[in-house]
Amino acid sequence: MQLFLEYLFDGISNGAIYAALALALVMVFRGTGTINFAQGEMALFTTYIAWGLTTKNVPIILCLLIATGAGFVLGAVTERVLIRPIERKSLLATLIVLLGLFLALNSLDGILWGNENYTMASLFPNKVSSFVSVGGARLYWANLGLWILVAVIVGAMFQLFNHTRLGLHMRATASNRESASLSGIAVGRILMLGWGFSAAIGAVAGILLTPLSPDSLGVGEMFPILIQASAAALLGGLDSPGGAVIAGLMLGVVEALLSGYVSVIGGQLEEAIAFVAIVLVLLVRPQGLFGSKEVERV
Amino acid sequence: MSLLEITDLRGGYGPSMVLHGISLSVDEGEIVVVLGANGAGKTTTMRAISGLISSKGAITLDGRSISGLHPDKVVGAGISLVPQGRGTFAKLSVEDNLQVGAAKRRDRAGVKDDLEQWYEVFPRLAERKKQPAGTLSGGEQQMLAIARALMNRPRLLLCDEPSLGLAPIVVREVFALLTRINTEQKTAMLIVEQNAQLALEIASRAYVLETGTVVTEGTAASLRDSDAVRRAYLGY
Repeated sequence: MQLFLEYLFDGISNGAIYAALALALVMVFRGTGTINFAQGEMALFTTYIAWGLTTKNVPIILCLLIATGAGFVLGAVTERVLIRPIERKSLLATLIVLLGLFLALNSLDGILWGNENYTMASLFPNKVSSFVSVGGARLYWANLGLWILVAVIVGAMFQLFNHTRLGLHMRATASNRESASLSGIAVGRILMLGWGFSAAIGAVAGILLTPLSPDSLGVGEMFPILIQASAAALLGGLDSPGGAVIAGLMLGVVEALLSGYVSVIGGQLEEAIAFVAIVLVLLVRPQGLFGSKEVERV
Repeated sequence: MSLLEITDLRGGYGPSMVLHGISLSVDEGEIVVVLGANGAGKTTTMRAISGLISSKGAITLDGRSISGLHPDKVVGAGISLVPQGRGTFAKLSVEDNLQVGAAKRRDRAGVKDDLEQWYEVFPRLAERKKQPAGTLSGGEQQMLAIARALMNRPRLLLCDEPSLGLAPIVVREVFALLTRINTEQKTAMLIVEQNAQLALEIASRAYVLETGTVVTEGTAASLRDSDAVRRAYLGY
């Protein structure tokens, strides 16, 4: 029981990160129609910024805010400068540009911060003794804080989508871009905001994830996470924010339990779980668990 | 001075030109219809006015140039397009669709009043306001598209093929509603239509397009009586 709970807690923490990044991927997908391959690298870049600030003794909460703001700007500028001029030409070109951005940001990280790995300070008490005992298992404050913060972000995004004018305009733009602009929505501004929000979510996810294990901030940190988040987004349905969150959590928990109990998987084959999920989804239910097939009568 | 004045409009899609110098005008409160066969440039004219495609030539609303504006700015200037195919936001509820139509407006109370007003005019939309708009019938979606465009309180309503894909009885209903809105709200309308007979009944003037130019224009009555127009477009 105790072991099970510890696996479960780890799984929920990883799952929450996948969920946050999957939500970010879905937000971009709904507006622009592509997977943002650079999503993970954007998050890593802003995590480096936050880490860099912590080494200058800036309070961690301030680092979080600055990095989140930087993420927002990075996302918005990417949309305006790189995506908007290209996306009209072709979807493939957009994908290639995003792959290019992925490589460029990764190399930039290497140039700016080198190839060593760093340990990042946590937003929450992060000592060996900072835990509460739940059913004999240790639930660390860092995990609990992560869950709460991700839940708050996800809740805020859903509030935005479903109960604000801006959210309505975002949904309209995702549903039918031309019709949205014919209704008076400044579509470019909406897309830019969507990219900004999505990169800001990624920034928070990076800052929550990195302190969970020592020496984890490095140029290779985010790529595997992006694979998991993409699998979650696909599993949940690329156009379904709620689906992305649920699938992210599911994937995190399944992965933690499988790698905990099945020794062949543990440590080495975790990422394979994401790929298996991707292949299965594409074969069995391409629209994902909660995604929709187009319903339109003409 | 006319409400909408188009002079020597040229444009198309990339290198292929569709419009070769179209001039037309719509007066305050007037219904004008644009007729023409497939490929004559009717929809392209509508898209050029709305700012969806770039074009050369002058487009003015109330004497102020609107050519080169982005679509949302054209809406802001007071022109709303009911696009061909209706442009329904399929997953959004009927009410959300109408709210999107009010994107340019800041007066909440006025928007609420307008919602009530259009629910009265289109009772079937009121019955289905919480339903995803994609589940409406074709006729209902056409009504929704018109109501959505009207939520902007446009001075000029552009309608691109409002009869497309609808049963004849529904087409009559749509045209009756357009006439009613024109009478009650004094909204000027520029309607592109293949159903020439019906369109000429509600319009005061008409233009006939052929391969991107205006070949005939005149009052609706005179076009109805013209043998050439009748043979070519009315089919009797």
